[in-house]
This record gives sequence, C-alpha cells and structure tokens, in this order.
Amino acid sequence: MTAALTAVSSAADIPDLPDRARMYRESGARLRAAMADNGVDALVLLGNGNVVYATGASWPLLDAGLSHVERPIAVVLADDEHPHLFMPFREGAASASEIPSDHLHSALFLEFDEGVDHFARALSELIRPGATVAVDELTGAMRRAANRLFPGGAPVDAAPIVGAAKLVKTPDQIACIRKACRITEKAVVDVQKALAPGVRQIDLSAQFVRRAFELGATANMLEAIWQVMPTSKAEGTWTTHGDLALPLLTTERELAAGDVLWTDVSITYTGFCSDFGRTWLVGETPSARQQDQFRQWRHILDAVLKVTKAGATSGDLARAAIAANGGQKPWLPHFYLGHGIGTNAAEMPMIGTDLGEEFDDNFVFPAGMVLVLEPVVWEDGTGGYRSEEIVVITKDGYVPLTDYPYAPYED
Amino acid sequence: MKTEILPDERALRLGRRERALAQMEAFDLDVLVLGRQANVRYISGAPQLWVAGTRPFGPICTVVRSTGEIHLNSTWDEGIPADIPHDHLYGLAWNPMTLVDVLKGIEGAAMARRVGTDALTPSFAKLLPMAFPNAELVDGELAMRAARRIKTPDEVTALRGALRVAEESLATAVAELRVGVTEQELTGLMLEAQAAGGVSTPATQDGAWVTSREHPWRAVRSGRRIEQGDLVAFSAGVLADGYVGEVGRTWPVDVDASALFDRWNALWDKLAAACRPGQPASDLLAAYEAAGEPLPPMPVAHGLGLGFDPPVVTPKLQATAEAEILEPGMVLSVTGYVWQEGVGAVFGREAVLVTPDGPEVLTSSPSPAAVGATNG
Repeated sequence: MTAALTAVSSAADIPDLPDRARMYRESGARLRAAMADNGVDALVLLGNGNVVYATGASWPLLDAGLSHVERPIAVVLADDEHPHLFMPFREGAASASEIPSDHLHSALFLEFDEGVDHFARALSELIRPGATVAVDELTGAMRRAANRLFPGGAPVDAAPIVGAAKLVKTPDQIACIRKACRITEKAVVDVQKALAPGVRQIDLSAQFVRRAFELGATANMLEAIWQVMPTSKAEGTWTTHGDLALPLLTTERELAAGDVLWTDVSITYTGFCSDFGRTWLVGETPSARQQDQFRQWRHILDAVLKVTKAGATSGDLARAAIAANGGQKPWLPHFYLGHGIGTNAAEMPMIGTDLGEEFDDNFVFPAGMVLVLEPVVWEDGTGGYRSEEIVVITKDGYVPLTDYPYAPYED
Repeated sequence: MKTEILPDERALRLGRRERALAQMEAFDLDVLVLGRQANVRYISGAPQLWVAGTRPFGPICTVVRSTGEIHLNSTWDEGIPADIPHDHLYGLAWNPMTLVDVLKGIEGAAMARRVGTDALTPSFAKLLPMAFPNAELVDGELAMRAARRIKTPDEVTALRGALRVAEESLATAVAELRVGVTEQELTGLMLEAQAAGGVSTPATQDGAWVTSREHPWRAVRSGRRIEQGDLVAFSAGVLADGYVGEVGRTWPVDVDASALFDRWNALWDKLAAACRPGQPASDLLAAYEAAGEPLPPMPVAHGLGLGFDPPVVTPKLQATAEAEILEPGMVLSVTGYVWQEGVGAVFGREAVLVTPDGPEVLTSSPSPAAVGATNG
C-alpha cells in the first residue's frame, strides 16, 4: 500500500501555502510507489488532472473542446525521480516548474499521426524494451501506431495507478485545496451580497469568475451553477429516475423573490480544485419549513461526520446518512453522498453510487484522504437543502476545510 | 434574452448530423461511440455543462448509422432535442458496467461490424466488445474530424456569435488598461464580460499579460502593476452556444511601439493571404518566413468550431500542414506574433473564414495600428 510520507492529523499540520518543491517530490514518490505496487515500469499520462498530479505543472485549463489537442503529456518512469513533461506553449502562461530542463520537452500533438511518430521516437529513448507500460487514454492516432508506441504489448490502464497515488493527499496538496477553497469562498461572499430579485443567473457567474481570478485562481473548472429549485419534484424537469435534475445550466433568467438556489462552483489553485455548494434564498428569510430542511440536512451531516475517520468505509458513511434520514438515501440517484477531490473536482471514492454496496463496504478511508460531503434533503414546497462540506480524514476523525456560513439559514 | 436552455436550432443540428452520417459512411462505420464534449454537441445538438480540461473517455453519445438513432447520456431532458426521445436518454453513471448494459440494449449494437470511438481507455477497450460482440473497434475521431472540418452556414453564424462575445470581452479589458492596474484585474474583467455575454463562458482563461522585453515569449506573471512602456497582450477565448470564438490584441501603454506594430501588420498581410482555398495550410508557416519573422512557440493557426478543429498549423506537424489543403467553409484562428528585444511582443489573433473568393476576417477588434497610437 502506498504510504503517506507525511500525514495531517490537525489543521495545524496544513501549511498556509504549499511548499511546491516538497509537493512535487512527495507526489512523485507516491506515484512511483503506486507503480511499484502494480508492477508498472512507465506511465504515459494524457489526462489534464493526471499530468498536473505527476508533474506539478498547472495552467489555466482549456475548454473541453480545445484541451485534447493542445495538452501537456507526462511520462513517468519507475526508476527516475523526475517525470518527463511535453508542454505546449500557451501565450501568457508562466512556466514555473520543478522539473529539470533535460526532462522538459516541447509540445506533442497526439491527435495526429505525425505527432505520434515524434512521440514513438521519444518513447523509444525513454522506455526500455519489455517494460510494462500504463496509459490513461489512447487517441485514434495512438491506436493506429500502437505497435510502435508500445512494442512490449498492449498497455494497461493508468487510471487505477494514478488513482491509488492520488487517494491520500500530502499536507502541501491539502494546502492547495484549502487555498482554492479560501479564494472561492472570498469570491462567493461578494456574489451572495449581490443576490437580489432581478439579478440574472449569469451576473452571478460573471462576478464570481472575476473575483476568483483577481484573488489568484489558476483556472475556473466549471460553468457556475445557480439552479432555481422547483416547488415540487413533479413540477421539476423530467429525469430518467423521476427524482430532481441537478445541475441544470445557468441562463439569463432573472431571479425572483423566494427563489431557492442550489449553488455549485469550482476553481483551481496551483492545479488543485475547490468545491463550493450552498443553498441560498433570494430576497427572503427562510420559512419555518425551509429552516427545518436545513436542520434536517445538518442532522444528516453531523451523523455522517460522527463516523468519519480513518478506517471507516464508504458504506459506513452511507448507512449513517440513510439512518439519519429516516431510511431514505439523502442524495440524488445520479450522484453520491460524497466524493474525493484533488486535481480533479470529483475523484474516488464516490459514496453511494451504482458501483454498489459491496464496493462501498470495501473502500476503507486512509488518513489524509480529502472528502466532499454533499447530502441533499427535499420536501415539496420548500426548495430543499443542499450544501457541500470538505473534510480531511484523520486517524481520529476529520479536519474541516470549508469555512463558509449557511446564511440565510440559521445554524 | 435566453432564459431557457434550448437545443441547437434544427437547421444547425441536422446540417451537422448529415455531415457526420456521410463521414460514417465514408469511413465505413456502423456505430460511433463518442465521449468528447464537442463531438457530442455536434451530433446531439444538446448543450452540456461546461467543464474545464480533458476528461477520460466514456460512452456519452452513440449514433447508429443504419437508423440515425442517437442515444445520449443525460439524466434530464432540458435542452435535449425532440428527435432524441426519453427512452434514448440514460442517466449519469459511475460504474462502467452500467454504461455497457445501456450500449448492449441499443438497436443495432449486436450486429455492428465496425464501431468507431473518438478516444479510448485501456479499460473501455476491454469492455466495449461486450456491447458490440461482432464489431472491430476502430478510430472514429477521423470521421468526426472530417465532418467538423467544413462549417455549415449555420455553424458560421454560431461562430460569429461566439466571436462577438470574445471581442466585447477584450474591449472591456482594454478599456481599463492603464498604469497601475494588474494583469489579474484585467484578466478578471475580461472573464467577467465573457460570462455575462449571454449563455457563454470563458473557454481559454489566458486573459491579459505584460509581454516580456527580455525574452521572445516567456511571460512573467509576477502580479506586478502595469507600467509605462509595457506592451500588454489580451487573449480572449469564449464558448457560446457550443462554439469557440477567439481574438487577441496587444496594446502599448504610453509608448510608441509603431515600428513593431508595423512589423505585425506586414506579417498579418502575408498570413491573411495564405488563407485561400486550394492552398496548403503550411503556407501559414511560410508566411512567417516570408515576413522575416521567427515562428512563435504556439501553433500559428488552428480550426475553430466546437473547440479545436483541423487543421492545427505548427512546425511540429509540418508534413500534416503541407498535406492539408484549405477549403471554403473552414474557419481558422490565426496568430500573428512579433517580438523586439527591449520593446516587447505584439500578439494578435484573428478568426478567418476561408471563402471561395479568399479570406474573410470575422474579427474586427480595433488595433493600435495607427502610428503612435497609445493607451493609458
């Protein structure tokens, strides 16, 4: 099992700002340990979140439609403390990196046969014949050249290996996540102040993204969600499961007094994500029934946190949540009670999904894992309640990372 | 004012689908299984939540050529066109076997001979044969790329909309350029305008930066305030209605950099002239040489559409660019970049539609082209 080099047991163990050199060393060590555990000699990584993890590089991520062409590629070797990084140039991007210059290479274009030809030559100089290679994605051009890229045979999937390394966060990685959360929360304070009847959903998105970048965000990860909840499930958008739709896209809709908003935003700071979610009420204070929704949500969260610690399983948390909610799952059928977070906004574990109860019962939390808990409660006529709380798993419990009030609901 | 999430207009949707189905036939694909956001939008016409960065391959959208039926991974029907009925929608899933079961149930899956995917993971390479037991799994991205290469008139209209938001956001940030403002503040202003420009969102997040006077292209991003004499570059990339609009400009701060802007203009004349039907895309690389300017580190051009479209013009893909012949209906995002030690860089990016009569520049943001024009 991949061991944490350093562990967090209280908030005092999390540095204010990450030590990027140490984070780079420890992430690399975790990755190589996971490679050793899986008998893999070389990792070829194309996924943005995996490359961020393996190399410490961070950049303003591109639109999904652009990002697969102009993307950094990492090659990690089991016997080399430094990864190789093939980095495209984005105008205006700063290029701070811990990687030595002989491991930094110019961009590859793996969507194209000519680009893959370059890569095959580069790989043949880096990876010894007969090595076991893992890759997280194959482009069409890579598939056509598979015999030249991977002469030792078909590569195995890199996702579980990187996933094993990513599961436990180092103190510096947690510092990145916490800093991303602080930037997000500070930006959201101003957005919440602007919340009033007549304000459009897109105005909230615009204000959020501006403040987040002014405060030092590296990238916006998600089109901001300010979903106006229906008065009843029956009046809500049609869904495959008959339960609530979430997240629905932001439009130029003007908010009206009494609208209940479920919010969700995410940014990165040096490659690590924040996740923010609160329920807001436009221009009004919560009714007694709405306040009860919040209390019920709080009750569920407290029940879940009571069993949250290293050694607990996803199944333990799911059962605690269901018991606190009178036997019903307090999350949407297409989502989860909670999920991990790191260089991707949602990472393993996902708690309470179609992966099944056995999967959840076998997923044991290690200390240093970071979890986003997002129970949902719903009663027709109230707009329901949903918020997100990020915690670091410790030996005896957890350390909260989220620091944002529940207003206008009274805690 | 758009207060509802609607599917793409019928003509836009059907025009794209027709092109995609024609390419499925040309590439002899019975089924396409797509995971990339742009491909999914191209086929389905359904808006999706914008999420930054690459994502691992998964079966998000499936097209069967013989029936034209589309199956889409969506838990709800908001923004889904009526030609994708409820029983063709399947919800978000975390277990790949759930998705394999959905694919198994699609009419035509069992008998398909050739199934194209737009990317693949080693895990799905093992799982997909369970859903398509008689099929050879092949690359489907080439077919999608061929379809997307040429824009329909409705696509050009959509692109103009995205470019308008990009240009407005750039103008908003340029208007605030003065001594004392920071790169972050200018970037924030630009992104704010991109998010407020309609149902639109920042797509590239590059923003504004002071070009270096010491290095041809390395940016410092120190967070320092803009000073007199800086050449400040602005790069706006916006996603609106699924399409990416990009525009770039550089503005001087209280300094006469007209000699460098003249060099940029001379380069641009050659770049624009290269955007003619029948010419190889490599003419764009040759334009730099003809202007006596070194090639910049970023691609000189790429196609615009639902994200990146072919070609991608960079010296790293010289042979590809030589073989890529421009055709009417292609839209290119073309970058001009010149640098002078001690002065800084002039970066400019334009969107160009290749028409039968030659290049039509779709972007019209003002430039400090007039001799001596300064800002601040």
